[in-house]
Amino acid sequence: SSKSTSKRKNWIKLIYSSDLSPEEILWGKSKHSEVEIGEDDFLQVKRKHDVDDLEGLDASKDPLDISSLKKWEDEEMLDSIRHLFITGGEGPNVEP
Amino acid sequence: MAQPSSILHFSGHQYLRSRLVLSILSGKPVRIDKIRSEDKNPGLKDYEISLLRLLEKLTNGIEIEISVTGTAILLRPGVIMGGVLQHECPLSRSIGYFLEPVIMLAPFSKKPVNLTLKGITTDKHDLSADILRTVTLPHLQPFGISEGLELRIKRRGASPGGGGELQFLCPIIKQVKTLNFIDAGKIKRIRGVAHAVRVNPQFSTRMMEASRSLLNRYIPDIYIYSDVYKGDESGKSPGYAMTLLAETTTSAIHCSEAISQPGVAPEDIGIAAAQALLSEIEKGGCIDRRHQTMVLLMMVLGSEDVGRCLMSEPTSKTIQFLRDIKAFFGTSFKIVSADQSNLDCTQLLYSCYGTGYVNSNRTLA
Repeated sequence: SSKSTSKRKNWIKLIYSSDLSPEEILWGKSKHSEVEIGEDDFLQVKRKHDVDDLEGLDASKDPLDISSLKKWEDEEMLDSIRHLFITGGEGPNVEP
Repeated sequence: MAQPSSILHFSGHQYLRSRLVLSILSGKPVRIDKIRSEDKNPGLKDYEISLLRLLEKLTNGIEIEISVTGTAILLRPGVIMGGVLQHECPLSRSIGYFLEPVIMLAPFSKKPVNLTLKGITTDKHDLSADILRTVTLPHLQPFGISEGLELRIKRRGASPGGGGELQFLCPIIKQVKTLNFIDAGKIKRIRGVAHAVRVNPQFSTRMMEASRSLLNRYIPDIYIYSDVYKGDESGKSPGYAMTLLAETTTSAIHCSEAISQPGVAPEDIGIAAAQALLSEIEKGGCIDRRHQTMVLLMMVLGSEDVGRCLMSEPTSKTIQFLRDIKAFFGTSFKIVSADQSNLDCTQLLYSCYGTGYVNSNRTLA
């Protein structure tokens, strides 16, 4: 099944009354369906280990995902968050 | 291990720290089994055993049973004592791993905590000494935990050799204030710490200049502190890192950090930290994402009133924590979009009714 297209999640329902894992709630089951070939038990066990490796450390900092930071090389992207600053919306501003 | 029904039961090694914290605060015993039982090195890791020993030092009357194979533990909580303590952290995890659960427990001690921890002060997995000092501790302020709250970086210790030392001072409180933090405000300044140990001190400056080159377009009020530690105070291994934080007009803080890697120039570390900060700013909300769980915990412990907080979407860790909070305290959060009319709004309003938690350890004193 593909990732849910509905933009708004019902967080209360997903968290408190579903059996989905936290990862499934956030990213859907689509990632798994690529690996899923029928009901093969062996594959399922392997998948469990994959999730383990990602989350296994009980760590509070995600490793920096350099590829996801590439978007900040784009000027339009950089401008898109200007409004979040007190200086925002005032055009090309304060350069040293 | 006998298992009466009053004992809460979980499986797996994930979320171990928060479950131990919730057990101690709620007074409910917890049994955790299947700890890496399928792994080729089954059972608890050395750092998890070390954490259990640290919790034993911090408390009195706690009972921890570990199964012969190390794949199951039973914890019966005791009184959080606090006081002057020391702990040597193994080099398999940085000090942040150990300090995070302590920070959640310390305000509810009998005596103020004065804990010295030795080991690695910055690594890529755990909250670094700089994040803990400049981001974690300020997140406790709205709950009434601030006076006398301090983290001192006595020595820095990069991975893998460590040699760092932190001193954590925490006041005790009677009750947690109800949180009402729903205005994220606008970013008014950016602060940061660039540190370099056992490498060319110029690396700090190079990281700082690179970060500034990206952040200056937004705001002039940027101050990055170059933290230099020399000799014994600089630990046993070379390393450097850039920690950045954006503060808003309502005192919300978002942070990022990038750490030296072999073959990566200091400039690239500075840029990565700045770009990561922009990602956090974009996600928005009143709470830094890495601190969602700590804030939600304090909201549950708050006085018997409705606490409210605006945050970005929950992390996977937060989702499990919300489920575990319900298991230990019976409290569920209401989580709704902050702007019902805007389908693109990713900001969420988290609210719950505080349990009116009272630090009974303190009143016994």
